[in-house]
Amino acid sequence: MRGLLPLVLLLLIWQMFGQADSPYFPPPSTWVTGVQPLLADGVLLTALGWTSLTFLLGLVLATILGATLGTLVGSNRTMDRAFGPSLEFLRVLPAASLVPLAALILGYTMQMKLAVVVLPATWPILLSCRSARRSMSPVLLDVPKTLGLSRRDRVRKVLVPALTPAVLLGIRVAGPLALIITLLVEIVTRINGLGALMGTAQANFLSAQVYGLLVIAGALGFVVNWLVTRAESAVVLRMSGRVEG
Amino acid sequence: MNEDMSIDQSPHDGGDSGSISLECDDLKVTLVGAAGPVDILRDVNFSVAKGEFVSILGASGSGKTTLLRVLGGLQAAAGGKVRCNGVRVSGPPAGVVTVFQDYANSLLPWRNIRRNVGLGIEASMSKDDCYSRVDEALALVNLQDRWNEYPWRLSGGMQQRVQIARALAMKPSILLMDEPFGALDAMTRASLQDELQHVQGLTGTTIVFVTHDVEEAVYLSDRVLVLQKTPAAVGLELATALPRPRDQMSTKESPDYLRLRHKVYEALGHRVGH
Amino acid sequence: MSRLTSRFNWLGFSTFFGFIVLWELLIRLKLISFDYVPPPSEVFVAARDLILNGEMQLNLQHTLTAALVGWIIASVVGVILGVLLAVLRPMWTYSMASVDALRSLPIVAFVPVAVLLFGFSLQMEIVLSFYGALWPVLLNTFAGMRDVEPRLLEVGRVMRLSKASRIWKLQLPSATSHIVVGMRLGLAISLVLTLVAEMVGNPAGLGFALVQAAQALQPAQMFAYIVAIGVSGIILNAGLIRVARLLFSGQMASSGESK
Repeated sequence: MRGLLPLVLLLLIWQMFGQADSPYFPPPSTWVTGVQPLLADGVLLTALGWTSLTFLLGLVLATILGATLGTLVGSNRTMDRAFGPSLEFLRVLPAASLVPLAALILGYTMQMKLAVVVLPATWPILLSCRSARRSMSPVLLDVPKTLGLSRRDRVRKVLVPALTPAVLLGIRVAGPLALIITLLVEIVTRINGLGALMGTAQANFLSAQVYGLLVIAGALGFVVNWLVTRAESAVVLRMSGRVEG
Repeated sequence: MNEDMSIDQSPHDGGDSGSISLECDDLKVTLVGAAGPVDILRDVNFSVAKGEFVSILGASGSGKTTLLRVLGGLQAAAGGKVRCNGVRVSGPPAGVVTVFQDYANSLLPWRNIRRNVGLGIEASMSKDDCYSRVDEALALVNLQDRWNEYPWRLSGGMQQRVQIARALAMKPSILLMDEPFGALDAMTRASLQDELQHVQGLTGTTIVFVTHDVEEAVYLSDRVLVLQKTPAAVGLELATALPRPRDQMSTKESPDYLRLRHKVYEALGHRVGH
Repeated sequence: MSRLTSRFNWLGFSTFFGFIVLWELLIRLKLISFDYVPPPSEVFVAARDLILNGEMQLNLQHTLTAALVGWIIASVVGVILGVLLAVLRPMWTYSMASVDALRSLPIVAFVPVAVLLFGFSLQMEIVLSFYGALWPVLLNTFAGMRDVEPRLLEVGRVMRLSKASRIWKLQLPSATSHIVVGMRLGLAISLVLTLVAEMVGNPAGLGFALVQAAQALQPAQMFAYIVAIGVSGIILNAGLIRVARLLFSGQMASSGESK
């Protein structure tokens, strides 16, 4: 708690010495009033809705894609070597560089947003599942075979539970990343969402509104971080339980 | 051979040559456990003479490592006092160096052997002086040729020798050793024991050696202190008075050695035909 | 056990080129066609033209300069602050929670703020690049400084090394591999933020070129730029690791071995 002192101090000093009509550094008290116009007609709420929807949908898609691809690639040495460089090249492309292209090809649509968000968010999950699959003991998959389980049951009852911790750990990294990319797309394309509001506020020199929206973005980031940390703890708890049991 | 190395004139027969290196008076050490503070050591009294080789012998968990750490100023005592070279110990004293059991963690992996050995002295002398001291120390443990290697390239026994060389480079008056050979195999242990004896013969350093190995304690030391009971105190104090230099075969077959060994085992609670 | 008969991954690279050939064929044979998705041959031509008329180099230079300058300053400041935070206990107790709070702010949300404060300028890009790279370097330095083998610190006490000696000789070398990881992360973030800054703010560099090419309906050029950005990232990253291994061979190798 004491650690918050610098931040609180900074805000207090800003509040005391900032001038309400300063174009660059309006004091914190003005931020609330700055954001108020957006509360009318539920503009802010709608924007938050768009950002959250994109983030959640993107994360879900990234999870499915990353888990499937990661498991596939990790299950077979040859496939791993074959697809490795291609995946690696896709991985290093900064998401920002893809935004204008995606906007051109897919237009200013939800598909475009999701395409840009899903690609980078897939990697942490893909990599995590890939390494987990690689280090899975072959015995674990042989046992259900000898028990005569169908392929579907093998996947459902053995593979999925075994890889769930890896998926959750991947989500731990992918979550905040998905939020950042979502905001990135919105800021660059001004399509909808919180990022678009920030971009518009900046273009209109509404500095108080910009700072107010920044705080809201921070709160959103905090919530996402908190959620994914819970997921991580769930994994740790489960794994330590397994070790003891 | 360097004239700096003091070659003890008197035979090592219990170090009766005057001055006391280390004194331990009414030492009490308390550790805080789950159920509250517990006395690990109480009423520990002993002294070590200059140039003496003393072993502290005890079972695992008997508090011998704790005792050594207190002697070396790494841990505080709850009562009583420790004096090294006449000075009260509070924090690692000058002229006293501790050698740890986990050699791998004690060496700097990013420095080569020469720079590792020089760690304690490089700040207080010129580069040339430092390197010549390092070379002397490495010569004492027969690792002169390996000065340019990195620790992970050496075997466990060699790494421990490097740690010892590092301690020796500081020309300590007292060397505290915490089960230094415990993590090594029997053959390496035997050769390092002899190397240590040889080194002490050349340098005359006072050595306090912690171990759980009865044979090792009797073989190496002038005196054996056995820690017993809970909280631990010195239960048995035994002067070995075996002739030096000792060797792994004839010394360990001598009747005197066997008698001493028998006494120690008896003190530890072992009986014939048990 | 992987059979590394040739260290070069022929299979992987041929698969990669296979995809490119497939892409070319699919478009040429009109099996798939999207608006604005050119075949690789067109991308290649566009790239060649951009290099020939110097635009590629100009834009690369602008973006990389902004990103790298900000990143270098952030690395220096980040290491210093990270060391201070780790070494001065009071400083840590009174600021860690603030650092954590600021850290969860999505970094890209600062772009509008930076544009607001610094306008359309190179300065704005450098400030953003600096701010983005600062956090990973600072936090990784801090973590690395505290992740020192405890036995080593005890050895430092036994050898009666001064506090400064212990920091310089024991803690910093231990932290080196952590710092390098932080710097790599920081580099990636710097690059991204610089690009975004150029897309919404400063009309210069690769980001702006991408937006311009989009407006001029030149997807081949865009692909060319994207590849250039990807390749730059790879080269910079590999270069950083190379330099780190050269300068700090001992520290990097040992953490590879033991950790």
